[in-house]
Amino acid sequence: MRLSRDKNSFKISVGPVHPALKEPIQLNCLIAGEKIKSVDFELSQAHRGIEWIATRRNPIQILYLAERICGICNICHTISFCTAVEKIAGIEVPARAQYVRTMGAELERIHSHLLWAGVAAHELGFDSAMHYTWKAREKVLDVIELLSGNRITKGIPTIGGVRRDFEEKNHAKIIEAVEYYRSVFGKLKAIFLDDPVIKSRTKDIGVLTKKDALTLCAVGPTARASGIARDVRQDEPYAAYPDFGLKAITPDQLTGEIKGDVFDRIVVRLLEVAQSADILEFCVKNMPGGKIVYEEKPIKLLAQLKGVHGEATGRLEAPRGEVFHYVKLVGEESPYSWKVKPPTYSNLLPWIPMLEGEQVADIPIIAASIDPCMSCCNRAVVAENNENVLNHDMLHRLSVEKTENIRGQLA
Amino acid sequence: MALIPLIAAAAIVFGLVLKGIDRIVAARMQARIGPPVTQPFTDIKKLLMKENIVPRNSVPLIFNLMPVIALASALLVILYLPIAGFPPLLEGSGDLVLVLYILIFPSLAMVIGGFASGSPYATVGAQREMVTMMSYEFPLAITAVTTAWLVSSAGHAASFSLYTIATANVWALVGPIGLVGLLLLFIALLFVMPGELAKIPFDSAEAETEIAGGLLVEYSGTNLALFYLTDAVKTVAMASIITAIFLPFSIGPLFGFAGNESIAAEIVFYILKVIAVVFVGTTFARVAIARFRITQIVKVYLGHTTAIALLGLALVTADVLLGGV
Amino acid sequence: MFEMAKELLRQLFKKPATNEFPAKHAPKSVLKLLEKVSKGKARLNPPIPVPEKFRGKIDYDRNKCIGCKLCIKVCPAAAVVFQEKERKIKYICSRCTFCAQCVDVCPVNALTLSNEFLIADYKRD
Repeated sequence: MRLSRDKNSFKISVGPVHPALKEPIQLNCLIAGEKIKSVDFELSQAHRGIEWIATRRNPIQILYLAERICGICNICHTISFCTAVEKIAGIEVPARAQYVRTMGAELERIHSHLLWAGVAAHELGFDSAMHYTWKAREKVLDVIELLSGNRITKGIPTIGGVRRDFEEKNHAKIIEAVEYYRSVFGKLKAIFLDDPVIKSRTKDIGVLTKKDALTLCAVGPTARASGIARDVRQDEPYAAYPDFGLKAITPDQLTGEIKGDVFDRIVVRLLEVAQSADILEFCVKNMPGGKIVYEEKPIKLLAQLKGVHGEATGRLEAPRGEVFHYVKLVGEESPYSWKVKPPTYSNLLPWIPMLEGEQVADIPIIAASIDPCMSCCNRAVVAENNENVLNHDMLHRLSVEKTENIRGQLA
Repeated sequence: MALIPLIAAAAIVFGLVLKGIDRIVAARMQARIGPPVTQPFTDIKKLLMKENIVPRNSVPLIFNLMPVIALASALLVILYLPIAGFPPLLEGSGDLVLVLYILIFPSLAMVIGGFASGSPYATVGAQREMVTMMSYEFPLAITAVTTAWLVSSAGHAASFSLYTIATANVWALVGPIGLVGLLLLFIALLFVMPGELAKIPFDSAEAETEIAGGLLVEYSGTNLALFYLTDAVKTVAMASIITAIFLPFSIGPLFGFAGNESIAAEIVFYILKVIAVVFVGTTFARVAIARFRITQIVKVYLGHTTAIALLGLALVTADVLLGGV
Repeated sequence: MFEMAKELLRQLFKKPATNEFPAKHAPKSVLKLLEKVSKGKARLNPPIPVPEKFRGKIDYDRNKCIGCKLCIKVCPAAAVVFQEKERKIKYICSRCTFCAQCVDVCPVNALTLSNEFLIADYKRD
């Protein structure tokens, strides 16, 4: 879709470098005064060729590559990849490992949703709320660090289980964090949902109707805010979720109505923080004993995986929506194919009905309301004009030239 | 006249210190440490060292001229204001109405500079700034005119002079109804302050997360430094106007100071008053409220704030006509 | 309503949440500050102690190493390089992602995790 301009409108490009967008994407808006007439966006500004790299690595190495698809929902990509490989090789994951995976994923969900709430507040020019939610987020990071040894990229799941146990001696800390988030939830609710200015800036803004959400295949909190009670953890439970019996969250559980606007997306994410706290508590109370991994020696595992043929998919609910991995193994050291579909990919098209007819001032908050993770969904890059493409050698030459230039100026 | 550079320098330094205090207090409210109080000086030093980039599709003459005009007019306002109870340097050659006019100049210079920079972001910002200006001028004018009229009805000559208003102490001229009215006008003026200074919640003209700095998006180096200084001086000017009209109290007689001691005490008291006004009008407002949309700014200023100001006007009028009941 | 404003006023009189590591404000010159610290004239605020399972810089015991190359096989970042002549490995810290997979796989415990994380340097090794 190309934007056509007339006399009364002009084009404004938001991104690829813009203070409101933390990652590169270009939103081309045709505006008349303050009103957005039409929107188009250009994807794939941060292609990293992750899938290509993976076809030159063995499955153990890919674990850490998968973790780096997305900095925030790293454990989801790893578990998703593991699930696919486990399905192909027929590996059964021990029950305790399933619980550890679930807890890791839920800790991450709290972390991701609070991070998002802070970013959303920042887009609204409400930095105090950002600092407050990010202060609250420190607690979950501390717990993740205590349990896994790292704060963000956990490096916990492995094929056939997990690498580090969440021991009983640390469970008191998890329960402490659960209690903390239950107490903080009330305050966050008051700050985000009762503030008159936030209300006026988010209610009836960026509406995504249930019909549009279904046609454009929205996933995760974006879809749930529009009233589609769809959640992989509910529809196709995996790990410890069948024991918990999770119900998908829709905004009417708190507000009594479903509008599908930005406000509803805030409601859904805040409710999910409380739900994650419940799941954590459940996991701590019902944690089974036993092994944490199917095969303790990675080298033995690699040898086993080298002998299997087949293809499988792994899907699970990341904080932003459904993550989908496809893996094909053909009896070689590296997988023949690996395909990743992150949630943002499905949530981008709903941007168009959300943005059209709104004001320029609402672009950042609407764009942020789907919790976009642009670099995650850059699977391909199209070079239309080869003159502008810089390869490794050219970039290297340019940087050497620049260094020489600066050196010359300094001398 | 030799005092002019001195006052200008003092206003700039005081403005930057105010900015430093503002940043620390805001940081503390957000549970952060914040920068050292000298940070604005460091910022200015760095900006002055940086290259001045002029965009290709700008109008260079206007683009480069506007920052100078903005700072000059902001400094000019200072010369018309009674500071710490002393008569302004240019007393007699201009009054409140003139001050209100010159106060528009820096904003206007930014609008023209924004249009001249040829960026769509700056254009959007400039349009928004104009709309904001038009919205807050009305409650500002009501407040100014009401206080001037109140002072004149009390029998003072030259009632539009800020110095007369300051020495007359508006609070002493009214009865209980008028007190409520003046309080409302005071609140209206505090509402206008963040708009005048383009601070959150009324900063949609600059809104860095929406239009990447809006008016200032193309400015860099010395030009940006001049706008930064303009903002600092405008903060002093706006806070001084509010102090002159609504907080004209002096501390000298209270403690029985005299001579030089009294002057020093007045200046310290004035600085404290300005810091208090900046805290309420800018710092607290900008950390406690989210940014308004431009349509909401118009509604807040031409609706709520004007309503408050008009109610204040009515109450003060009633009070004066009823003879201070 | 206005819960944030109340919270802000409360926080104004509380200690900031920021961890003052290594110093409250950025010094004018980092090198001069470090010099002062080494002479005992200034003090740096200590970092928060690392947790038990922390994965920091990897220590390599050259004598224990048997050159089995298992660590090279599992390292996702090619941070371990084999030296043909000596039949030992070289650990390149600047490439390491600190996943500790090599530590888990090492049959003779030649690779161990340390608590060291202040590893920024001007030189690559």
